[in-house]
Amino acid sequence: MKLVGLLMALAGWVVPVVALTQTQSLAARGAAAVLGILVSLVGILVVVNGEHLKHAIWKR
Amino acid sequence: MTFWKRSRCSSWMVIAVLLLGGLTFSMMQKPTLGQGAPATAPAATQAPAAAAAPAPAAPAMDVPLDLKPAKAPSTDDLSKGDPGGTMTGTVSDVIASDTKKGLTLADVVNQVGQNRIGINFVWTLVCGFLVMFMQAGFAIVETGLCRAKNANHTMMMNFMVYGFGLFSFWVCGFALQMGGGAPYSTLGGVNSLNSEFAIPLFGKMWGLWGSHGFFLSHAGSYDVGAMVMFLFQMVFMDTALTIVTGSAAERWKFAAFAISSIFMGAITYPIFANWAWGGGWLSQLGNNFGLGKGYSDFAGSGVVHAVGGITALAVSMIIGPRIGKFSRSGKPHSMPGHDIVIVLTGCFILAFGWFGFNPGSTLAASGNGALRIGSVAVNTMLAGATGSFGALLYMWMRYGKPDASMSGNGLLAGLVAITAPSGFVNTIGAAIIGLVAGVLVCISVEFVDRVLKVDDPVGAISVHGTNGLWGVISVGLFADGTSNYGGTWNGVTGNVTGLFYGDASQLVAQLIGVATLLGFIFTLSYLVSWIIDLVVGQRVPAADELEGLDIPEMGALCYPEFVLKQEETSVAS
Repeated sequence: MKLVGLLMALAGWVVPVVALTQTQSLAARGAAAVLGILVSLVGILVVVNGEHLKHAIWKR
Repeated sequence: MTFWKRSRCSSWMVIAVLLLGGLTFSMMQKPTLGQGAPATAPAATQAPAAAAAPAPAAPAMDVPLDLKPAKAPSTDDLSKGDPGGTMTGTVSDVIASDTKKGLTLADVVNQVGQNRIGINFVWTLVCGFLVMFMQAGFAIVETGLCRAKNANHTMMMNFMVYGFGLFSFWVCGFALQMGGGAPYSTLGGVNSLNSEFAIPLFGKMWGLWGSHGFFLSHAGSYDVGAMVMFLFQMVFMDTALTIVTGSAAERWKFAAFAISSIFMGAITYPIFANWAWGGGWLSQLGNNFGLGKGYSDFAGSGVVHAVGGITALAVSMIIGPRIGKFSRSGKPHSMPGHDIVIVLTGCFILAFGWFGFNPGSTLAASGNGALRIGSVAVNTMLAGATGSFGALLYMWMRYGKPDASMSGNGLLAGLVAITAPSGFVNTIGAAIIGLVAGVLVCISVEFVDRVLKVDDPVGAISVHGTNGLWGVISVGLFADGTSNYGGTWNGVTGNVTGLFYGDASQLVAQLIGVATLLGFIFTLSYLVSWIIDLVVGQRVPAADELEGLDIPEMGALCYPEFVLKQEETSVAS
């Protein structure tokens, strides 16, 4: 699951970069950037961190 | 009593709303014509008259000048001393290239050029020295926020990160970062740093890293301008590295810290810094895709602070929380630091050093619009003050007391947030950016602690990560379109202008920078930390952590004459 979270984080970066090259629309580029940031945040804070919390030292 | 608390709370809120409202109203007043207009306007109106006049003959550059009108003081005059300072620094001090021939116009022009670059060298170096001193501020802030039993270990991490970072940056970090961004015109060009590795993709060139300047010896980088640039960029890089030592304090194995810091100084930081400052693809978003003036990060809210804060998040996740930080039910416990005096003293040292960080990022005090350094310095001062005010207000309203350590973090959060926009915003914008940062850091600390359950003893993730990202975004909102430092920024003609002043595309460029920081920097930092964990181990043994890291890791106590309180190790809820 950690790798899935990292892939999501990475995808959140790639999405707005690819969108740059695929559209001239400022609104579409802005939306892709916001979407990318949200995908990255979910990957980092929910998926990767969630995996760490499953095995947290204070649960042992 | 409840009524009194409520009415007091309401009063604070009314004051805050009035203050914000007033500030916002003032900010929305557009600059009048002339204030924001480019300096070329008057010249354009004079152009026809100038064109009509006959062109004056070019002065001979190599003919000796008549120096009598300059009234150089005589040797006799100078021998009497110059208490008024009117005879020191005159035509006598301009050096003639050929003493037999005497002073020529060519000599004077060369002297003017060297003076400009000299002023810029001295400015950049002195600002770099101030930033270097910030290491002392970080060291005592972090140590004061940790427990006394870990003080030697925390100080040593902050002390040695300077050497580890410097070494790796000298070997390859500087070349990767700045080796392809020349010309750096304020420092005389430094044209040897002109090789950027770039790949063609979708019809555009994407600059990824520089390739001149390894060991400050390679490909003509043994150069006076390159040395100045190296010193200034090195202390910035070191600031990013020292952020991680705070969030991972009190349980980080010293060997893992050393490897992690060397990698970050050699690779992680320089790569993103190249993309933003060294001519890389982020800086070219304006040129290649028409997004404002490209990703604009004046002094490094993103490059320095967000990179440090996001790496701190990755390392803290992998290391895990300190023993006793969370109960078995996941409830966080407060683990207060041991010396609030050095914490707040350190915050003042950092605020002082920030006057090198932000104004120094002009890399100039002469030419190229560099006189805006006064504005940059005042913005820095203001945002720090409103940051501490925001944090103080939030904590006072929420918990009934003005919290000292959070006020300090509020100051730092304001400074972090204004770092990127400091060169592009007016004082009203700076005050709002700082105030928001002060509140944001408190909310973020609570979120990291209670929701994410990531242990960050000093609040580094919130101060530098969260507010670094806020600073990057705030450029895209508050940049007032009055500055570009010499006509272009990132190679795009015109002034950096944010959404509130009419250019939404700048905000999109900034958001792409944020996505890059989160997506690329976090992933890279996490993978590297993961590998270090597998190979070396990131965390000290539990017994060492309970004893305190000073003896097990460093071999000596920081305070040998203190009687340290016995650790309570219960984690029951």
